[in-house]
This record gives sequence, structure tokens and C-alpha cells, in this order.
Amino acid sequence: MKQYIRKADIILLIALIVLGLASTALLSRAGSATSADAMVVIRSGGELFASYPLDEDVEIEVPAPSGTEYDNPRGHALSADDESTHYTYYNTVIIKGGEVSVSASSCKNQVCVRHGAISKSGQSIVCLPNRLIVTIEDKSGGEYDSITS
Amino acid sequence: MTASPRRNLSASFIARVALMAALALIFSYIEAIIPYSPGVPGIKLGVANIVTVIALYRFGARDAFAVSIIRVVIAGLLFNGLFGMLYSLAGALISLTGMILLKKTDRFSVVGVSMAAGVLHNLGQLLVASALISDLRIFFYFPVLLFSGIAAGIVVGIVAATILRTLR
Repeated sequence: MKQYIRKADIILLIALIVLGLASTALLSRAGSATSADAMVVIRSGGELFASYPLDEDVEIEVPAPSGTEYDNPRGHALSADDESTHYTYYNTVIIKGGEVSVSASSCKNQVCVRHGAISKSGQSIVCLPNRLIVTIEDKSGGEYDSITS
Repeated sequence: MTASPRRNLSASFIARVALMAALALIFSYIEAIIPYSPGVPGIKLGVANIVTVIALYRFGARDAFAVSIIRVVIAGLLFNGLFGMLYSLAGALISLTGMILLKKTDRFSVVGVSMAAGVLHNLGQLLVASALISDLRIFFYFPVLLFSGIAAGIVVGIVAATILRTLR
């Protein structure tokens, strides 16, 4: 039986820790400044669902897209300003006072609800079961423009 | 899988794999019923991987593959759900492949191999998650999952190494 720890283990451990620290540093730069024209972009199932200015106070119910674990019996291709609410499978996104949070979700793990509020550009809240991603983006940011234009 | 059919499905292989898969399943179950909320999905110890590591070192890659796949599929049907199974399957396949390759180099100990497996497992899950949500921004979670993978892998590796030493 070989010993518990060998030299290659230590090298691998150091390499992984360096990789972790480097990626942390890289990612933390994303959530730095928030410009006045930041937008809250809501994507459902990989497609743009809606976007709102960060300084607008609004509550949105986002139905889960079809093809998820919790297939929505009441249809999915509904626009953001559709009047009908209370889907069986949904996430409720609240924008208030420059902060975004998911206040309710039909999913089991409730990770998105416990995530808390985000307020800086580059931050995001994810609900995997309902395939929802809520991101704060700068209006000037490339990704938002490429989708809308 | 180049061996003869007889060797491939010998009674001892079936019995051994069934036993280990059952054990791994119990570990999965115990871990599933312990309530804790790490805040990020995918962070867990992965106690069942102790069985996979032992299967790999004691009986070889074929046993480890069989035990791992059976465990993931049944655990998915029983408590993780279809999508949970998809995440676990990606994680299990990528981490097992990594473990087999690292073990072949013969430079790493059980703990090192298990540590790499922990990281690769989380990476596999992250890849599935980014594919499902069609957004690479989920790699925001990468650092957290990397460090938790290192920690979980080391703990699993130390336990597996201790058991393997006793088994000899």
C-alpha cells in the first residue's frame, strides 16, 4: 500500500487552488460597478423572456419553459406582459429599490430564493429546475444588445 | 471490454458489483435525507464515491464503472429525479474517466486521485447545467464548486485509502 499523500498529489492540489483563486479574481471583477442604466435581464430556457431597468420597481412571474422537469401545463410561450398569472411552475422575480431577488419558486431546492438579492452588474441568480437565469447587465454591454437588435 | 463473454458476466462479477452498488445506494440515500443547505446546488460530500474509489482500486475500472452507473441511475429514479440523474451521470462519467487516467500514471495516491475526481465531478455537473440553461454565466459558481470538490474529494480519498489499507 502506497503512502496517503505523494508528491504529485501536492502539485495537483496547488495547481487546483491556483486555478480556483485565479477564477475567483477573474469573476469578482464582473460584479464591480453598477451604472445608472443597468438592466435586469430575465432568460428562461435559454431565451430572453423580459428585461427591465434596475431602478424600476416591478414584480414578474416567469412561467417555466416547456421541456423542463416541471412541464408547465398552462403553456409556456407567454410574453412578459401577459395578464394571466399563477402558473403551476414558475419563479417570481422582484425588482425593488435597485435590488433584484427571486421571492418564490415552484422548484424543490429553493436555491434561487435563498440566494438573496443582487444589485451589481454581472451578478446573477439561477434556478436550474426551471431553467431561469436573472442577470444584471449594463445597457452598453454587448450581450444584451446582440439579443435585442 | 475485450474479455470473453464468460469473464465479462461471471457470477462473481455480478454479485460483487450488485453488492457494491447496493452499498453505494445506501450512502446516496443517507446523504439525500440529511437536510443541509449549502446555497449552491451540487455541493455535497459524495459519500457514495467512497465505494467507487474502492471498487476502482480493489477490482479495477470495469467494476468502478458498473457500480457508479448503476448507483446513479437507481438513485436518480428513487430520489434525485430525471434532471438530477443527468447531472450525476455527467459528473460520474467525467470523474471516473479522470480517476482511471490518473491512476494509470501511477504518480498519485488514492487521496490525490479522489481529489481530482471531486473537482471533475463538479465540473461535469456545471457543464450539464450550462447546457441546460444555455448560458455560460453559470460558471460564476465555478470557484465555489472547485474548492468544495477539492475538499470533498480529499475527505472521500482519506476514508477510501483507510478502508483499502484495512482490506489488504
